Amino acid sequence: MFKLIQNEWLKILKRPGTYVMTGLLVFMIMFVGGIVKYQLVKENPQEDKNWKQTMRVEVNQAKLELKNMGHAPKQVVEATQKNIALKEYQINHSIPPTQKYAVWDFVSSGSGMIQLAGLFTIIIAAGIVSSEFTWGTIKFLLIRPISRGKILVSKYITVIMFSIVMLVILFSLSSLLGVILFGTPETSVPYLNYLNGKVTEQNMALHLIILYGMKSIGMIMLATMAFMISAAFRNSSLAIGISIFLLFTGGELTGLLALKFNWAKYILFANTDLMQYFEGEPMVDGMTLSFSVIMLAVYFIIFQSIAFYVFKKRDVAA
Amino acid sequence: MTAIVEIQNVSKKIKGKTIIDSVSFEVRKGEVFGFLGPNGAGKTTTIRMMVGLIGISSGDIKISGYSIKNDFEKAISHVGAIVENPEMYKFLSGYENLVHFARMSSSIPKAKIDEVVELVGLTDRIHDNVKTYSLGMRQRLGLAQSLLHDPKVLILDEPTNGLDPAGIREIRDHLRMLARERDMAVVVSSHLLSEMEMMCDRIGIIQNGKLVDVQMVNDFVNGSETLYEFDVAPKEEARILLQNMLSDSELKITPQGIAVPIKKEEVPSVVKGLVTEEIQIFGVREITKTLEERFLEVTESKEEAAHV
Ligand SMILES: Nc1ncnc2c1ncn2[C@@H]1O[C@H](COP(=O)(O)OP(=O)(O)OP(=O)(O)O)[C@@H](O)[C@H]1O
Ligand SMILES: [Mg+2]
Repeated sequence: MFKLIQNEWLKILKRPGTYVMTGLLVFMIMFVGGIVKYQLVKENPQEDKNWKQTMRVEVNQAKLELKNMGHAPKQVVEATQKNIALKEYQINHSIPPTQKYAVWDFVSSGSGMIQLAGLFTIIIAAGIVSSEFTWGTIKFLLIRPISRGKILVSKYITVIMFSIVMLVILFSLSSLLGVILFGTPETSVPYLNYLNGKVTEQNMALHLIILYGMKSIGMIMLATMAFMISAAFRNSSLAIGISIFLLFTGGELTGLLALKFNWAKYILFANTDLMQYFEGEPMVDGMTLSFSVIMLAVYFIIFQSIAFYVFKKRDVAA
Repeated sequence: MTAIVEIQNVSKKIKGKTIIDSVSFEVRKGEVFGFLGPNGAGKTTTIRMMVGLIGISSGDIKISGYSIKNDFEKAISHVGAIVENPEMYKFLSGYENLVHFARMSSSIPKAKIDEVVELVGLTDRIHDNVKTYSLGMRQRLGLAQSLLHDPKVLILDEPTNGLDPAGIREIRDHLRMLARERDMAVVVSSHLLSEMEMMCDRIGIIQNGKLVDVQMVNDFVNGSETLYEFDVAPKEEARILLQNMLSDSELKITPQGIAVPIKKEEVPSVVKGLVTEEIQIFGVREITKTLEERFLEVTESKEEAAHV
C-alpha cells in the first residue's frame, strides 16, 4: 500500500499543474496579508483606554433593541443575544476588545482560503482515477497482482493527504506571515466561545486548529464526491464541474431551502458546517451534532460504495 | 510441453451481443502462439479477458492453474502484457515509468530494471520523458514493463504495430529468444499472416468471435498453393489458352493480369506455352495470398466439413 501511495505522489509531483496550484495558494495568502497590512497602516486604529465604559453603553443599547424586536427573525435575535453575552463576559473578565490586529486574527481570516485549498483538492480528486483512463495507463495499472480495491484505496488516501498538505501550507504560511506582518499579541488572549447562552474561554491556537478542521469537512466531502464521480463515470470534467459548483453555491442554496423546507436538513451542505453547533444555531430547527455526524457518515459511505462498486465491476476497454 | 494458459469455453457478451463465442485453446510453455484474425474478429477482446481487464461472461481462463476470475492476483502475477497501444505516463521518464510499475509487483531489484532496459535497447533514451518517444520506442518501453517481473506468460496485442522493419525483426528475435531460453509462453496477436509465419510456432485463427482453427505454422503455410500473376496481352486469348493448359485450376482475372495457382516448377512450361502462341508477356510475379483469402479457404473448408 505504501508503494502504491508513493506512486500516486510521483504522478502528482511530476506534473506542473501541482506547482501552479501550490503557487496560487501561496500567492493568495501573501496577497491577502499585503492588503490587510496596507489597511492597518492607513487606518492606524487607536486603543480605547475607556473600553469598558464604551462597551457598557453598547451592551445597554443592544438590550434595548432586543426588547423592541418583537417579530424579528430568529437569527437576528440570536445574533444580538450572542453579542451581548460576549461583551458582558469581556467586561467582567477584563478582556479588552480586539487589542491590536495580530497573528491569530490573520490565521483566522486565512481560514477563508480553505475554499481555495478545497478547489485544488477537488481538481486532484477528480483526475486521480479518470486521468488513468484518458492516458490509457489504466490498462497497465490493472494487470498487476494488486486488487482494484487496493488501487482505489491508495488513490483516495492520496487525495486526503493532498488536502492535508494544502491545509498545512495554508495554516503554517499564514502563521508565519502573520507573525512577520502583524506580530504576536503582547498578552495571550483567549478565544471566547458562545454556546447555548454561555461564554467559555479557549486556547487560541487550539481554537484555530479546530476552526480549520471544521471548515475542511465540506471540502473533504466534496472531494470524496468528485473522487466518486471520477472513479464511477471516468469523467474528470463532470467531477470537477459538479463539485466546484457545489463548493461555491451548495451552502447558500441549502440555506435558502432551509428557510422553507424542513427536509433541507438531509442535504449534505446543511451538515458540513459543524461549527453551527458550537457557535450559534443550527440551520434547521431540531438538528443536532450527532444528526449531522450521522448524515456525513451516510453520505461518505454512499459516495465510497458507488465508487468501489462501479470501479471493481467495470469492464476496462479504454 | 505443458499448457500454462488454458482458455476454457470462453464467451463474452456485451449488451446481448455475443462478441466471443465459446473459444477454447491452450498455450504451452516455450512456444510462441499467434492469435490471428481480421479487424474486429475479437483478438483484443479475448486478450482483455485473459488479463482480467474485462469480465468473462461464461467459461474460465486459467494461468498457471489459477483462474483469472476467482484467483486474479495469483493468476496475473505470472503475466506480462501489452493490450493495444503501449500508453505510458508521458510526463514521466521511461525509467520512472518502469520504477512505477516495478513497485506494483513484489520485490523487483533495481538491477532488473536496468536489465530489461538493456534488453529492449532503450538504454540511451531511458531517462528522457516519454513525451519525446517515438511510437517504436514506446513499444519497446511497453515490452520492458511487461518483462519486469519475469512473467511465465507474455501477452502482446499487435506488438509490431508502428515498428519499422528493423524493429519488427528485433522484436521477433526477442520473442523467440524469450520463448526458447526462458521457457516463456508468448501470445501475440496480429492480422498479418506474413508476420505470424516468421515468429510463431502455432497459430489460432479467430473470425467473428469464433476460433476457426488452431494449427502449427508450417502446416498452415504449406497448405496453401502459391499464386502467380501473369501480366499478358491480349488478356482474353491468354485466359482461354491457360484454361486449356491447366484444365483443373481456377483462374482469376486481376487488374494487372491473370492469377494462376501453380507450383514454382510449373512456371517455365506455362511461360513457354504462352510464348509459342504469341502472347506477349510483360511480367510474371508471385503473389502471396492475403490473410482474407487464406481465411476464406480455411473457413470454407471448415464449413464443408461440417456439412458432410
Ligand atoms: N465495448 C464494446 N461494446 C460493443 N462491442 C464491442 C465492444 N468492444 C468490442 N466490441 C466489438 O467486438 C468485436 C471484436 O473487437 P476486438 O477489438 O476484439 O477486435 P480485434 O480482433 O482486436 O480487431 P483489430 O484487429 O482491429 O484490433 C468488434 O466487432 C467490436 O465492434
Ligand atoms: Mg485489437
